[in-house]
Amino acid sequence: MIVYDEYVTQIEGHGRIYVDIKDGKVEARLEIHEGSRLFESLLRGRRAKEVPQMSSRICGVCPVPHNLAAVQALENGVGIEASEQTKMLRRLMISSQMIVSHALHLYVLAAADYLGVNGVSELYAKFPEAVKRCVRIRRVGNRGIEIVGGRAVHPINSIPGGFAKLPSKRELENLARDFKTVLSDCLETFNLFAKLKYPEFERATEYLAIDDGKHFPAYSGRLVTNKGLNAEAKEYRNHITEVFKPYSTTKFCLIKGHGFHVGAIARVNLFKDRLNPIAKELLKNSPIKFPSDNPFHNNLAQALEIVHYAEEAIKIAEELSATLKDEEKPKQTKAGTGVGVVEAPRGTLIHEYTVDENGVVKEANLIIPTGMNTTNIEEDLYAILTANIDKPKEHLKRLAEMLFRAYDPCLSCSTH
Amino acid sequence: MKPKVAIFDLTDCEGCEVQILNSKFIDRILEGVEFLHFRLGQRVNRWEEFDVAFIEGAVITSHELELVKKIREHSKFVVALGSCACFGGIAALNNFKGVNEGKRYVYGENADKVETLYIKPLPEIIKVDFMIRGCPIVPEDFERTVSDLLAGRIPREHTRPVCMDCKSKGNTCLLLEGVECAGPVTYGGCGAPCPSAGMPCDACRGPLEEPQMSAELELLKKIASMDDIVRLFRKYAPMAPLFKEIGGEDR
Repeated sequence: MIVYDEYVTQIEGHGRIYVDIKDGKVEARLEIHEGSRLFESLLRGRRAKEVPQMSSRICGVCPVPHNLAAVQALENGVGIEASEQTKMLRRLMISSQMIVSHALHLYVLAAADYLGVNGVSELYAKFPEAVKRCVRIRRVGNRGIEIVGGRAVHPINSIPGGFAKLPSKRELENLARDFKTVLSDCLETFNLFAKLKYPEFERATEYLAIDDGKHFPAYSGRLVTNKGLNAEAKEYRNHITEVFKPYSTTKFCLIKGHGFHVGAIARVNLFKDRLNPIAKELLKNSPIKFPSDNPFHNNLAQALEIVHYAEEAIKIAEELSATLKDEEKPKQTKAGTGVGVVEAPRGTLIHEYTVDENGVVKEANLIIPTGMNTTNIEEDLYAILTANIDKPKEHLKRLAEMLFRAYDPCLSCSTH
Repeated sequence: MKPKVAIFDLTDCEGCEVQILNSKFIDRILEGVEFLHFRLGQRVNRWEEFDVAFIEGAVITSHELELVKKIREHSKFVVALGSCACFGGIAALNNFKGVNEGKRYVYGENADKVETLYIKPLPEIIKVDFMIRGCPIVPEDFERTVSDLLAGRIPREHTRPVCMDCKSKGNTCLLLEGVECAGPVTYGGCGAPCPSAGMPCDACRGPLEEPQMSAELELLKKIASMDDIVRLFRKYAPMAPLFKEIGGEDR
């Protein structure tokens, strides 16, 4: 029997990998020990206008998608249709969040696996330029969230119907300029991660992302997979099931009884034709091709998305810097239940709320990307450990942890 | 010799650690201190004597309860990082709703298999030498704390209400506009980002040392229901002294 360390380092939240190898057979478990904050329960009884801010507290690494899935769900439930301008600003927030979160994962958490350093301090000592690049990218991304959302960690401005405060045209202009300046750093990031040697491993699985019919996945859409699922977001309960496992505070998600994969690799696998031009060009010349069934390639997909979402942010900020106007904010017209779905850095995120006629939340349900990935991670762990069963224990442990980390898991989120 | 520093995260969103990474001086921090323990940022972590340990998050499991005691034993100076550590944070709302009801709602028949303790602020569990407040913290507070400690100074709190930050931004007072706002009794230094966006201060940095609580409540009662007043203070620092009593035990 092998129980790996007390916790896996360099991931968001607390969990470990439990492995038992007996008579050539592998048992692998993803044990998530993150404390349960019971968000679904504590949001009941709150006013709808408070909930987007409170929901963002689910995650400090990716607060924007929680903020926006909440606002979208709350609007859908009470008969509010957000304006095109509001949706564009929300896509700008998501694009900025993707860049900030991916840069954190790639440089601060994942890079150590591939560059042979202990962690971020040693990375800075040996590859200062890489850390500085990460900081520059994150600074501009944070700025994008800040000018629209009011604050980079835990946005303030998002409310059902729109924004409490709009950015100025000048701020948007400057943001577009800053993103253009940092684009070379984004390209450098892709080039760095395209050169890395990823473990050889493949396992075909189902990939899920959202499809609004037009954009590379970001804000709203249908639930779509490579295995033929194509459903309205509000029907998610008919397709995605959650099961409790006694060794994990996070529930495990399944589609038709098996694991599925959400996140950068799923988005790129499904929608690479919708990438922005520079990202598309990079992919054409990349030695690693997508669709890919190697979960480690999620890291390269994230690097590619940094370029794509930077291009997206430039496009939106430039357009809005010319057209932005004050708008009437639509108000609640009825009580009801609504579902919101956005792409978080780690994949498709679903929030559902029931709001009464006084604007108070009565019911809440949240399905989190890392929760969606849990079953798939266990299936991958089983497959990769079985394929490498003759290797030394230390090697297996390293491989298992790297695999888990490549998913960019967020256990605070998944347990919530 | 570089100061030996540890950063621990308990149950929380890790947003305060993200704010550390968002610091303008992150390069100097990475160069200037030795991280003995930093789970989020490095693979090899060591239990030796820490000059300073930062603890982020709330104590929700018995494992975390043991962990914070162990951290205290290993540390010369302990800093509570963010309002989950300082005041129980958003998860402590379950203290008021009844944690068992919450668990049943989330985990159904498996509720008993998940452990969630009654959440106490860290200073009620171990001796805490300094608090960096906020949900999330502002990087400037972290920077000031670190530079004080590096210079051999004991960091001090700079107590002033959020209203001071808000006024200096030139905002119109929300309370005067009939919007319930916790600014007058809430510990400032955040730059008042919420009222600057027209959103009320929701008391995330906890109470001032001697807030005019009764005057604030008098004022709020004129513009809001008791339920909404309780909602305002029972959010990100619900177990803070003075805040937790608002509305009485039964709410």
